[in-house]
Amino acid sequence: MKQYLKAKGNSVEHVDALHRNSDGRKWTFMEKLLLGLTPKEYLQQALKNPFNWILAVIFAIGIPIMIGRFIFGLSWVTHSSCDYPWGLFLGFGLFAMVPLSSSGFQLGTACEVFGRHDLEPIERLALLNGLLGYFFAVMFLLFDLGQPWRLPYPMIVAFGPAAVLFLVAWHVATYLSVQIAEVSQGFFEWMGWPAGKKAVRKITLGLTVSGIILSTLHQGALGALFTYAPGKVHPLWYSASFQWLHFFVSSIPGGLCMVIVVSTIAAKTMSWRFDDRFKTNLDKLTISLAKGATMGLATYLTIKLIGVAHDNKWEYIATGWGAWYVAEIMFGVIAPLAIFTYSIKNGKVGLIRFGAWLTVLGVVLNRLNTAMITFNWRLPEREIPHWREAIIAITLYSVYIVTYRFILYRLPIFYKFKTVEVPVEATAGVRETVSLIEENDLPDAACAKESISLSGRRLSGIETAN
Amino acid sequence: MRTACTWIMLAIATVTITLSLPQKAAAIPDKIDIGSLEALYKKVNFDHAAHIKTIYDCAVCHHHTTGALVTDPNCVRCHKTSNPTKDVACRNCHRKDPFSADVMNEKLNPNRYHNDIPGLKGAYHQSCLGCHKKMNGPTGCQDCHKRKPEGDAMFNAGEFAPKKPAGKGHGGH
Amino acid sequence: MKRRDFLKGCLMCSAAAAVGTGSKAQAAGSFEGYPDAMGVLVDLTRCVGCRSCEAACNKEQRLPEPDVPFDDTSVFEEKRRPTERAYTVVNKYETGQGEPVYRKIQCNHCNEPACLTSCFVNAYTKTKEGAVIYNPKICVGCRNCMIACPFNVPGYSYSSAFNPVVKKCIFCHDTRLKNGRPPACVEACPQEVLTFGKRADLIKLGHERIRETPTRYYDKIYGEKEVGGTGWLYLSSVPFDKVGFDTTLQNEPIISNVKDFLGMVPMVLAIWPALFTGVHLLSTKNKDGHDDHDDSHNGTGGH
Repeated sequence: MKQYLKAKGNSVEHVDALHRNSDGRKWTFMEKLLLGLTPKEYLQQALKNPFNWILAVIFAIGIPIMIGRFIFGLSWVTHSSCDYPWGLFLGFGLFAMVPLSSSGFQLGTACEVFGRHDLEPIERLALLNGLLGYFFAVMFLLFDLGQPWRLPYPMIVAFGPAAVLFLVAWHVATYLSVQIAEVSQGFFEWMGWPAGKKAVRKITLGLTVSGIILSTLHQGALGALFTYAPGKVHPLWYSASFQWLHFFVSSIPGGLCMVIVVSTIAAKTMSWRFDDRFKTNLDKLTISLAKGATMGLATYLTIKLIGVAHDNKWEYIATGWGAWYVAEIMFGVIAPLAIFTYSIKNGKVGLIRFGAWLTVLGVVLNRLNTAMITFNWRLPEREIPHWREAIIAITLYSVYIVTYRFILYRLPIFYKFKTVEVPVEATAGVRETVSLIEENDLPDAACAKESISLSGRRLSGIETAN
Repeated sequence: MRTACTWIMLAIATVTITLSLPQKAAAIPDKIDIGSLEALYKKVNFDHAAHIKTIYDCAVCHHHTTGALVTDPNCVRCHKTSNPTKDVACRNCHRKDPFSADVMNEKLNPNRYHNDIPGLKGAYHQSCLGCHKKMNGPTGCQDCHKRKPEGDAMFNAGEFAPKKPAGKGHGGH
Repeated sequence: MKRRDFLKGCLMCSAAAAVGTGSKAQAAGSFEGYPDAMGVLVDLTRCVGCRSCEAACNKEQRLPEPDVPFDDTSVFEEKRRPTERAYTVVNKYETGQGEPVYRKIQCNHCNEPACLTSCFVNAYTKTKEGAVIYNPKICVGCRNCMIACPFNVPGYSYSSAFNPVVKKCIFCHDTRLKNGRPPACVEACPQEVLTFGKRADLIKLGHERIRETPTRYYDKIYGEKEVGGTGWLYLSSVPFDKVGFDTTLQNEPIISNVKDFLGMVPMVLAIWPALFTGVHLLSTKNKDGHDDHDDSHNGTGGH
């Protein structure tokens, strides 16, 4: 899309209101879906994007294997190991994606509960990031479960309330609904259903508070899952008293930095979708998020060390596993912590973004270490996932990226949806006027006034907040 | 005088031995067919006489029951001066069904010392195999009892051996 | 109104969850098994590695044909574990002191099983007879039990596409134990390595054996205390870590590790809503109302 727009100049009108700027006609649903382009144009821009070709290759290989998993069973795509029952699907898909999705509850809390309205421009991105992360974590789970069609069983058929996984199941399910409700505001705006938005708006505080509860509990619960396997998780990654805290606290910088990472990628690839409010605030928002992440990282580092000290596990640091542990902490926690501290002070947003990448990778590495790499550390051999398992994981992650991009292109995440009533003048013969748009070059002028007044208000709002 | 005495004593001894031996010999079987595992194995033709000749000491297998001197420090505590008992055969004390409700209830009797008596099968194998190992006797399962086809089926051996090549397929490692 | 209803709903949920998890957390660790639970004392000093138990288990549980016959001793070249195709396996350990030691592995039927407490659909049951049995009809296949089992026992029939289930020793519960009969392996064992009886009696018996012949035994019954006690108990001539046992296991049931977290749950459920709604009221008090950001979010004030 970016390259297509570059080629076309500013001749394409973006869907950013219910009505077209050029002629005031309501956008049809189809037009909204196609980003205001004709099907032919849409296809053109899609084919022009080299990333789509990479995706096409991934899907061509991956989707048949995905289907095969459900026809031939798990033994076809995994090593069917009894010692390593959880492979990439859970080790990466569930345990790494969920902490990176904690952004939703954090910014929800900051904006809705603590009244930090200066963070609002990025709140929607954070909520969406949360929703998609959770949703795809559940998708990964469906690939991993032996009998995925029984996923609702813990809700309706049989209850194991003592199990941590029971909490996780209930909390993820309820939290997913909460997040759908939170994100649905943007969807209602986009669809032009103000009543729906109003209804959700009314329960926002309730949704947000329940979001905090559910997040605290199940981020922690994912950690607590490993307290069932005290002898299998390496002592350096295990702590009976602190495991849930480690997982919960590391999810805080994880989620915040994931938002920075996504916004960084978006700034590179879809800045056409940003409105001025987002564009002008992005650097400042990035710094705010990094501040939060720094606090999170510092806390995490502290309790990680307390965890080691509490059970007196220092002797393990001197082993090979210990070196790996130190590497994880150095690159995933201490390095970003130092980078953030320096760059926040000096306003180096580029460095912050680099630090955010490190943090995200650090959290992923921590989860992979706990669930897979150091799991069964006392067994003689380590298990390398089957190649089909890896391909399914890559494919599913690509589906996640595509879905993410699809929504960011359309719903008002990076921009505000203008609900101002434009008088409807021409309804007939609209098709013929389409060609006129290009000549008129209207959108910029029409938007300008609003944007200016808006960003002015925004700025003053920030000042008062500070 | 002395020679006369010796002769008399010798005569008495001979009489007692000749009187007692046939009596005892009648109770000691030379061959025993052990068929308690007949469902899977052919009977074991146990050559009792040959074992007596080799080991001589009855207590090795029959504990204190034959009146022979026991040496095990645990057994000596009570059976130092035990007389021969009425029941000598293995099956009389070692039960064929050691885990049946009756036998398990018997064991619960607090006045009973021997509440850890192996079952008949366990007693045979522990005793025979244990000694065979020490004395370099045959120790393979089929050295003593040949499997019947039913036994082959149980062990997936012989004509019931797995057809497919080993080591294929998933599961385990 | 709506918000209040929602919060009320939240609180009720929390209360319910708090009750549920709280009572369980308290119960954890105090359960020492059913008084009449049966068990098996495995005396490794008697085992000769004939694999009769494996054969008997295979037939009793109608498991798939083995890769090699059950009288083939080549399997001892590697260390095996129970799988979906074999609920029990015997491994051979050269201890450097005379005869090798053979060790039979199967589900140990814990007093407070980790598989049971980790299962979110309660597919496992500890029966009053002492068996830990499994309900394949409700298992979702998350395999958390396999993660949780400290003895690495449960296997999973990965190769089944439409009905994969956990496969593990169930103490022959359905066919034998329930009717007061010992499991098939116990009956098949020629050496009476396996002694079937009430767990409480077996512990006495085990200690008695050690006392009577201290030179024969290492002075410990494995499973008497491990992870809260197991129904299957082991005697050995050598220290247990020499024959593949995990001697680092805790004496508390596995669930006790999770208690810290479970105990925290009701607190979060009860305190968070009040705390955060309070903070919200405090931090937005001076503004024009609770929804002061609403109009700004609506773009140019559409209403």
